[in-house]
Amino acid sequence: MNIKPMVLALSLLAFSGAAAGVDFGKLLEERINQELNKDKKTQPAPAPAPAPAATQNAAATPPQEKQKIDARQLGFALFGDYSLEEENRIGKQIAGDLLGAVPLVRDDKLQNYVNLVGNWVALQSGRKDVTWRFGVLDTEDINAFAAPGGYIFVTKGLYRRLGNEAELAGVLGHEIAHVSQKHHLKLLKQSSLIGALGQAAGSKVKDSDQAVQNLIGNGAEIMARGLDKNAEFEADRIGIVYAARAGYDPWGLPGVLQDMAALPAKDSRTSLLYKTHPHPADRLAALGEAVDGRLDAVSGKDLTKRFYRIR
Amino acid sequence: MKNFLIPATALMLCVSAASAWAAPGTVLRNDKLYSQPSATSKVTGSAVKGASVNILAKQGGWLRVTSGKSTGWIRLLSVRAGAGGAGGVGVGDVVGAATTRSDPSRVVAVAGLRGLNEEDLKKAKFNPDELARLDAMSVSPAQARSFAGQSGLAAVKVPALPAPQPAQSSSPWENN
Repeated sequence: MNIKPMVLALSLLAFSGAAAGVDFGKLLEERINQELNKDKKTQPAPAPAPAPAATQNAAATPPQEKQKIDARQLGFALFGDYSLEEENRIGKQIAGDLLGAVPLVRDDKLQNYVNLVGNWVALQSGRKDVTWRFGVLDTEDINAFAAPGGYIFVTKGLYRRLGNEAELAGVLGHEIAHVSQKHHLKLLKQSSLIGALGQAAGSKVKDSDQAVQNLIGNGAEIMARGLDKNAEFEADRIGIVYAARAGYDPWGLPGVLQDMAALPAKDSRTSLLYKTHPHPADRLAALGEAVDGRLDAVSGKDLTKRFYRIR
Repeated sequence: MKNFLIPATALMLCVSAASAWAAPGTVLRNDKLYSQPSATSKVTGSAVKGASVNILAKQGGWLRVTSGKSTGWIRLLSVRAGAGGAGGVGVGDVVGAATTRSDPSRVVAVAGLRGLNEEDLKKAKFNPDELARLDAMSVSPAQARSFAGQSGLAAVKVPALPAPQPAQSSSPWENN
């Protein structure tokens, strides 16, 4: 996933070295346009497919009308990281938008239970600088979401399929990993670099909520675009380790993936999930390669009795 | 004839009830079958990628399966439930409709339900009230620790899992 932006960043670095005293902005502009146009022509065969979001964004950009590129904005997008404050604002906007599409289940006991399990798993992630918030969304859709800043959601449709606390911990562990690895922030950085060039560039984030909204697109569509599949595989690997570190049976998430693998492909409740995630069979296979016998000595609790059953 | 058929059917029903979890599965990677759910137990056979198996039971990270003539325990992550083949969505997923984990409490009527879609998300307007509700439900690390302790959960040291090696080795560092 990261190959393309890395190549871009490296070539930009190379340019900046050679370009001391030359029109830096112009060079950047040429280089970026070259990179963008290359996308439209031929893809070199061995290159991995570019991240879908990046492609979409590039395609959505109006056809290369003499866009002025601010080298400072690009510099931010390339080399800067979002500050914690920016991360929180981005996450809050995404979470608020998502909650505008689907409200929380009106069951305080359920919400409290999921927050307790989630926070305990998140304590194993090592990210202590965010306030973790967990919510169950009132939809039969089968999915779970994470947004920067520690916002985690699981749908009622997915929750219903869980059989014990270890499975819940595994699902939440996967989402917590998206936050600890800053997957969405990386995606935003990539798309603000390749796609919007100026419109949604990072330097505007500080200005207003509208600027944050510009960065993330329309409403909560970033949740429908999904991440690169390697980010999903990574979140699976990290998520089961978080659950295991929390003392749970590590086979919770694999169990949930098995359950989903057996669902019919045409089930409308999983259409968004499959649009944004690799098929569960591929996720199981990738996890199998990574886990092999490494968790043989780990035994944890599945806490079936304590699991809160939804009405 | 009739008299013979009835006990035979009854017997078949008993057999299928005994293996309550029986469900089709597909082998995702070549792996061994063991006599016990443990890699230190005796190897009783092997299963090749793409082979169909019958899943009989689940225990921790292991599934008891029948593959051809042999029966044994295989790693949970070496098999996918459902008959969709080893590589993601396949024709077999249509068959999967009938084989979804058959716990009645988990069955939700599909008809009439509509999943979340991209349009809903795009059109979504920021909802400050729901966000405040979410904030109000958040708990402190201390509360989470105490909750974990109530059920005897304690933090365990588990090393991170390695990232997979890239499939195509175009890097000069991978040649040794």
